[in-house]
Amino acid sequence: MQEHVVNTEALTKQYGDFFAVNNLDMEVEQNEIFGFLGPNGAGKTTTVLMLMGLSIPTSGTAKVGGYDIIEESREVRSIASILPEYSSLYGNLTTFENLDYLGQLNDMPREERENRIHEVLEIVGMSDWLDAKYESFSRGMKQRVGIASTMMKNPKIVFLDEPTLGLDPVGTLEIRELILDLKNRQGLTVVMTSHILSEVQVTCDRIGIINRGKLVLKETMENLNHVMTGAEDRRVDFKLNKVTPDLVKDIEAIEGVKEVKQENGLFSVYGTDDTDIHISQTIVEHGSTILLMKPREYTLEEIFMKYYQQEDD
Amino acid sequence: MAGSFTIAEKELRDQMGSTRFIAIFALMVLLSVLAAYQGVDYIKNNTEASFVHIFSGTQMSFSFIQIMVMFGPILGMAFGFDAINKERTTGTLSMLLGQPIYRDSVINGKFIAGASSLATLGIGTIAITTGLAIPMLGYGPSLAEASKILTLAVLTVLYLVFWLSLGTLFSVVAKKTSTSILFSIATWMFFSILLSILATAIVNVMVPLDADLFIMPSGDSERSGPGRFQMTDEFREVMTQRTELTNLIMKISPTDLYQDTASAILGTAQGFMRGAMEFDRTLSLGEALMNNWANITVLAVGLVVCFAASYMLFLRMEIRPGD
Repeated sequence: MQEHVVNTEALTKQYGDFFAVNNLDMEVEQNEIFGFLGPNGAGKTTTVLMLMGLSIPTSGTAKVGGYDIIEESREVRSIASILPEYSSLYGNLTTFENLDYLGQLNDMPREERENRIHEVLEIVGMSDWLDAKYESFSRGMKQRVGIASTMMKNPKIVFLDEPTLGLDPVGTLEIRELILDLKNRQGLTVVMTSHILSEVQVTCDRIGIINRGKLVLKETMENLNHVMTGAEDRRVDFKLNKVTPDLVKDIEAIEGVKEVKQENGLFSVYGTDDTDIHISQTIVEHGSTILLMKPREYTLEEIFMKYYQQEDD
Repeated sequence: MAGSFTIAEKELRDQMGSTRFIAIFALMVLLSVLAAYQGVDYIKNNTEASFVHIFSGTQMSFSFIQIMVMFGPILGMAFGFDAINKERTTGTLSMLLGQPIYRDSVINGKFIAGASSLATLGIGTIAITTGLAIPMLGYGPSLAEASKILTLAVLTVLYLVFWLSLGTLFSVVAKKTSTSILFSIATWMFFSILLSILATAIVNVMVPLDADLFIMPSGDSERSGPGRFQMTDEFREVMTQRTELTNLIMKISPTDLYQDTASAILGTAQGFMRGAMEFDRTLSLGEALMNNWANITVLAVGLVVCFAASYMLFLRMEIRPGD
């Protein structure tokens, strides 16, 4: 069984009558990249701030790395790092000075700080910019230094708040690789918030969709297609040279097939994973030719919109 | 406290190296030296005057005390008005508080740094002024005078740090630095300009000065000269009441508390009319402190109250997305 690095129980944050986060139950496993999705104002950042011990929950509990976020918030902050939405370090300080300051705040001895600064800058590819002022950097460079700053304390978990927001495609790609590197080479657990779905799709192991403070979906990326068609179902689209009523009838009779639909020239079969071979055999037996056979893969946008609209309804 | 000192060290480095600090320090030294030059001139022409009058000057001249009364509030608040809200607007607050430090380390560190900068500025200005006055006068302060100068330096730092704590409070209350600047300027204008106007208006309503009071009754009054106003006893009494009420109202002003105490420390006592300094009675340092302990206490309490309010509000401050 995987160890949970983050575990929340009915975590709630209320501002007056407004629920920024509402009864959130969520777990993040060790060494995974968890994508926390939601539209602007959904409660993603508020959740992260609570998990970092920076904002006190109205009710509920949460643990990060085994530490209670209220009672042991300082311990939480010693093993967790946050990269705010717009990575912000001190513009008047150099890369070295900024990272050195963070090292000092983490009680790191001078020699350890200096070594760590070189290590983290090597990881993010900013070693040549040690003495450059932070304010002189492009947005992409600032994000890279920002990620370096989160690693100064040797954290177990890193919270990245909209890490690719406002970046150009090259910058996005670089940060994406860095995030994957944090997990794969540095062995960290990463929780990233985002409303850029394509970003999450290629980076995360699991996602949680939050809307109006409520977690409406938690799922692994592999299982997302099942989410759309039903818990164990999948959809396969066929394009056939001919479709007869008997063929439809026989396919519907196959064990595991739930539904058959025909639209836009496609013949779509909803059923369990093991039905494909039987469907193919039946089609051939009826003298039809399979021109195209493609399991339907839903985009994260479609999944997100489904849950977003459900909540709105 | 480790976090506090780390933050204080960084803030102090930022402040000392900032254009703001260098410009303010240069301006303060320049104004103080000019004031001291006038003071030196006065001392040379008045045998009764002592070395410390380079800081208090005369009734008509521009002195170190007047510079502090006028610019002290702005000076103190300049080091505190953006202490917290600047971190919020630049988004560094959540990064800073995301480190394993106690939240009060941030406000403590910033306050320590601001107070240290102001102490450097206040004491530095007094030291430079003293240093320049010695060759101009050809002699230095006596031990008693040196004690007074030292006490003035401590009082000045206390006064400046009071304004720092008020500025820090504004920086916690106001989300934007532009708002806390406005708060600071409004406070400065209130205590430097509006309060005295307000005090005069209140005094005029409560203790009116009737034209009848100027008429000399038979016998027992003084005549200042032909064709001039004549002071009756009733007039004196009304004027005393007006002065006392004005003094009472002005006591809510930290600038007034500082001015009174600093003037007393330097050995100038208040005359009949408010603000008129006379050299008719020179107070010893002990006497000055005894007479003005309430002023010093009010300044210190004000400082503590403002800082405590900033501290409490900051600890309860909700960190929101974007901070």
